[in-house]
Amino acid sequence: MKKIKAVMVGQPNVGKSSIINAISNARLHVGNFAGVTVEKKEVEVRKGEYEIDIVDLPGIYSLHAYTPEEQVTKRYLLEESYDVIINVVDANVLQRNLVFTLQLLDMRKKTILVVNMVDEVEEKGGRIDGEKLSQLLGIPVILASAKHKKGVDEILDRVIEVYHQPKCGCKIYYNEKIEEEIENLAKILLKSPHFTDYDQARFYAIRLLEKDEDIYRIVHDLPIFLELHEALGEAIRRLQLEFDVEDVRDLFADERNALAKSIVMQVMQLPRQETLTDKIDKILIHPVFGLPIFLFFMWGLFQLTFEIGSLPVDYLDQTITNFANWLKDILPPGDFNSVITDGVIPAVGAVIMFLPNILILFLGINLLEQTGYMARAAFLLDGFLKKFGLQGKAFIPLVSGFGCTVPAYMAARTLKNPKDRLITMLILGFMNCSARLPVYVLLISAFFATHSAGNVLFAIYIGGAILGLFVAKVLRMVLFKGEPEPFVMEMPPYRFPSLKALAMELWIKSKLFIKKAGTFIAGAAMIIWFLSSYPHHPDLEARYIQKIEQTQDPKLKEQLQNELAAKKLELSYLGQFGKMIEPIFAPLGFDWRLSVATISGLAAKEVVVSTLATLYAVGEGNEHSSTLVQKLREYVDFKAAVALIVIIMIYSPCVAAMSTFYAEVPQWAWRTFYTIYPNVLAWLMAFSVYQVLAFLGF
Amino acid sequence: MNITDLKIAEEATITKVKAPEPIRGRLYAMGIAKGNRVRLLDHTLKKQTWEVDVEGTRVALRDEEAKAVEVEK
Repeated sequence: MKKIKAVMVGQPNVGKSSIINAISNARLHVGNFAGVTVEKKEVEVRKGEYEIDIVDLPGIYSLHAYTPEEQVTKRYLLEESYDVIINVVDANVLQRNLVFTLQLLDMRKKTILVVNMVDEVEEKGGRIDGEKLSQLLGIPVILASAKHKKGVDEILDRVIEVYHQPKCGCKIYYNEKIEEEIENLAKILLKSPHFTDYDQARFYAIRLLEKDEDIYRIVHDLPIFLELHEALGEAIRRLQLEFDVEDVRDLFADERNALAKSIVMQVMQLPRQETLTDKIDKILIHPVFGLPIFLFFMWGLFQLTFEIGSLPVDYLDQTITNFANWLKDILPPGDFNSVITDGVIPAVGAVIMFLPNILILFLGINLLEQTGYMARAAFLLDGFLKKFGLQGKAFIPLVSGFGCTVPAYMAARTLKNPKDRLITMLILGFMNCSARLPVYVLLISAFFATHSAGNVLFAIYIGGAILGLFVAKVLRMVLFKGEPEPFVMEMPPYRFPSLKALAMELWIKSKLFIKKAGTFIAGAAMIIWFLSSYPHHPDLEARYIQKIEQTQDPKLKEQLQNELAAKKLELSYLGQFGKMIEPIFAPLGFDWRLSVATISGLAAKEVVVSTLATLYAVGEGNEHSSTLVQKLREYVDFKAAVALIVIIMIYSPCVAAMSTFYAEVPQWAWRTFYTIYPNVLAWLMAFSVYQVLAFLGF
Repeated sequence: MNITDLKIAEEATITKVKAPEPIRGRLYAMGIAKGNRVRLLDHTLKKQTWEVDVEGTRVALRDEEAKAVEVEK
């Protein structure tokens, strides 16, 4: 079995992921690139006697890497070892993509070109001559369509074929005068033992002429550096004079652009008709109607999340309660019975119930992204976000934040300016993540009328977003003075989302969620259960049991039983802890149970629900309040419930999110600030809301 | 003239990109480079953000960047 290692590179939105998904019999691994939190997708596939390993690199517009993700791709291309480059391009915008292909070909590595979405060009009456393109570039070209699975499996054949060639057949050369300078510099580089290969020296020479700092750093330590540095300066001066340009980078950009243009003219018949995207854009980013339409979509999404998502909730809730009761009867009584039926099942059940809501919200966010609408929203909102010291692209991490804060922190990497990025990351926590949804849904169903539930939920989400913008403005004025980063963004064409990819995402999401519920949340529930059941108080129990036996009145019996359970809980470790922190939360109207639940939310937001489920599970057997919702109504007042919602909206996100933030932001000052300020703000806001509600007479 | 002087649906050829690096490199990578055809598609109500089509790619840019792209009809 021979191993071939290939890397897949291309500009963003060229459909690399759908190609990866379309390769048959491939095993997909999802992980991270070493040292950074950029997702790394890798597939292994067998073809004849070969095992081909393809690494999917993050989308990159140019070797002049601009964003941190592009930097990851560039580093990988320069530093890692691999056999073949699979360059994927979008047939619809071949010229722009070829400019990057030409940069790649400077490397003179074994490369194949995959022209994806050929079907879209053909549908519009265009044509691409793959053979001609292959002749001009000197590398194999595959016309493919991931959507129709056309040409996808041919990729593997070409990879094997190219692997056996001695070297890249690339035929691209620049203007004679430029090539002359490149050759001079390459010769100097070859004097160093660091270089053995002319092609590599040529590539470095080109990058040096283009003022590539990463390459400059590498050659900086070589013994030939002085000679090289001088020659480089002269070469740049000569080229600037010869071509009358201010910057040699412009010269290379012009060269590649002209080359790409002439190649496209020779191989492609351009489709010329108004595309569907033009028509849709006329409505969706209309100067006047664009924003209202956007707000309507968002409102609709939250309505759906609540209305449809809550349909199975009551049923699930009842089923889980019944299951726990049934299990309680068949298991032998004792600690084991109790930990399972009072601790784990209600806690995990309380969280699992909200899977439908979370899936709908994720589906919505995915749809926004896959259809291309997310970029339109960024376009519409840029002017607005700029007022708050943010930029349009910040919208993408902000919306991802409604799904999960962890990927949202990573999505903030699309912002190049460190100040912009930090401001965005500091307010991302105010975008309510889907893990908080269960807490809201629970509290809303307990304390608000059903007909207004969707609107309350929408208000919570909008409220969080507005608060975030407000905080961003304050941060920009106080801590980060200066202009936000320029806004330049591609608007990808509208696409019908791939159902397979959507289903895949949802499946992965459900799996992760259930896994989290089954492991992390079950574990947290066990700890909470233990802390709430120990230490035992034999005298207290004996006293109550005696009292219970003495009475004949069944009502009094039940009351005494409830009293015992409540007393036991109060004296437990958790009760003691709750009592200790109660003074902090007392001004918000929280009892010790709500205080404990709030703190437990730092582990994961769903844990708030499961903790409430455990802590209010006292007095089991009361027919009128068998479910959690009914119990909350009984024990918690409206003002405190609203204050709890406010706390959940604002205070620190879960441990996973916090550690992602720490990983992304190395400065201790910011980490400390990030850890403290949301909690202080949350308390102050919750206190104000509580007081206002009290004043209004609730 | 520059992009912001175009009317919606008007086409022109890019003659110069004046933005400083690294924005210039970014604009090049998006296809906003000398010799390419550009068409103004849309702008927001207050003309703060502009959308153009360059050789089939749609790009959104802010006022400052759009003003840095010289064009010729």
